[in-house]
Amino acid sequence: MSMRNVAIVGVGITRFGVREASWKDLVLEAGKSLFDDVPNLDKKDIDSLFVGAAQPERWIYQTHVAPLVAELLGIEVKRVIARTESACASGQLAIRYAWLSIATGLSDVALVVGVEKMNSKFLNISQSSMINVGNREFDGANGFTAPPFFAMVAQRHMHLYGTTEEQMAMVRVKNQEYGSQNPYAQFQKKVTVEQVLNSRMVAPPLKLFDCSAITDGAVALLLTSEERAREFTDTPVWILGGVQHVDAAHTTNQMGELADWVALRKAAKDLYDMLKITPDDIDIAEVHDCFTISEIIEYEELGFCKKGEGGKFIEEGESYIGGKVAVNPGGGLLANGHPLGATGTRQAWEIVMQFRGEVPKGRYVDGAELAIAHNLSGMAQLHHIMAYSVNKPRDIKFGR
Amino acid sequence: MKKPKRKLTLPEKIDLPPLLDLWEQQDPSGPDATGIYDFYRNLAEGELTTTKCKSCGKLMFPPQIICPNCYSDELEWVRIPEEGELYAFTELRLGAPIIVENYTPFVIAIARFGNYPENGVQISGMMFDVKYEDLKIGDKVRWEILEIEGPGEKKRYWYYFEKVE
Repeated sequence: MSMRNVAIVGVGITRFGVREASWKDLVLEAGKSLFDDVPNLDKKDIDSLFVGAAQPERWIYQTHVAPLVAELLGIEVKRVIARTESACASGQLAIRYAWLSIATGLSDVALVVGVEKMNSKFLNISQSSMINVGNREFDGANGFTAPPFFAMVAQRHMHLYGTTEEQMAMVRVKNQEYGSQNPYAQFQKKVTVEQVLNSRMVAPPLKLFDCSAITDGAVALLLTSEERAREFTDTPVWILGGVQHVDAAHTTNQMGELADWVALRKAAKDLYDMLKITPDDIDIAEVHDCFTISEIIEYEELGFCKKGEGGKFIEEGESYIGGKVAVNPGGGLLANGHPLGATGTRQAWEIVMQFRGEVPKGRYVDGAELAIAHNLSGMAQLHHIMAYSVNKPRDIKFGR
Repeated sequence: MKKPKRKLTLPEKIDLPPLLDLWEQQDPSGPDATGIYDFYRNLAEGELTTTKCKSCGKLMFPPQIICPNCYSDELEWVRIPEEGELYAFTELRLGAPIIVENYTPFVIAIARFGNYPENGVQISGMMFDVKYEDLKIGDKVRWEILEIEGPGEKKRYWYYFEKVE
């Protein structure tokens, strides 16, 4: 099947954090920011709308959110409209569907909005709702929110591969160094290994600074086909492809070894085969550092280092800009916070800003041409990767 | 300027939203009925059980009504071996789900019972009266029955793990 090339041609973002703003306010802020970014955009150009939102029905008691966004931004949607949900990867899912819709010719110009409002007076509702992303009846019932699950992942990785709490802390140190140069990030102060190690224990061995936060934020992206990209920008960022993988696994019993993310390994191989690339070709990797241990395992399963050597990889500085691959040069989920539906779109925002050269020098990956964005959803069962480039896709065959 | 002409009064107390109840799906009949109700009936009778496919022999957890391997609906209930091995654990100290907040800190663990994965299960469970520091991977644990009282008249059964001394 011949597919059309698709590019991101505009971006908008809100400040991430504990915001004195409603879900609707966040959508409006991100939407306005996008229209400011693309002066040539007439809202009548937009024919499709994809809204990535994980749990609005729990956190703002609102469903049917895609038409709500259409109303807020005054957009008449004539082709495809959908809200996408895949827990922590809901935002990337919205990009994926917009890409597919444009690639197949169903849509021409699509607006993607990733958004989540997680903070409220009733803060604990957020953690209480995270039990629903695992198997609620059999794991959720045992108190399985994200922190205890990833704590056990960390414990297994330490047990099998000798990874240390110091190495995990180093991930936070790196991501805060970049986050300190990101004015949209929730946390903008640099931290030391000692500060991470001495932060409050959440679920041992994970301390507070090993965890990404409960965050409010939104990102808007404009996607279109090659035919129309130049109407909106001189610097389109091309979508090269995307993969997902989940084994027939959702509950603990099907997860096997917690420290080995086999589904991510398979997804990465699938992406590299599809694009005929190797991990060495990747200049920027936006990865899902929901916890420090996650980024360490992602180094391994994405093939940046051997299995079990993720701790060594950060210790030797290989994931810093100038190392083997620049991982999370925007600060990742750890510095930006993790508003579930917005996270995947925030990664795409970061990659676009990097390719345009519109980030501060200290976190700029000079000369980058190929970037990937990885999300995991739930208890690391489901993995999603998309690849972006400054270069137009050539000879990429789908249905390989 | 108008003064309020009409007043609405809301209930004095609004019940815990059902979605915050971790153990809700345990009724044998009505709209909440589950095809695996025997799992809960067996817990009430003191047994932690799961389903095994009579056709292909697959042992599954959670229990199902149809085998995910061969799609047979001829399943039998089997008892999960009482003693298992601690595979991973942590202690929930911050950010507990609302309904169990009062019990923090408590240990959350994953243990393997039987010969996992060929003929055994890897399941999660809570542990009480034990500290994170007192446990290590490989410790022997056994499942026990947990009685859950409330809200109101409700009485339900679940399981938890205990360290075998």
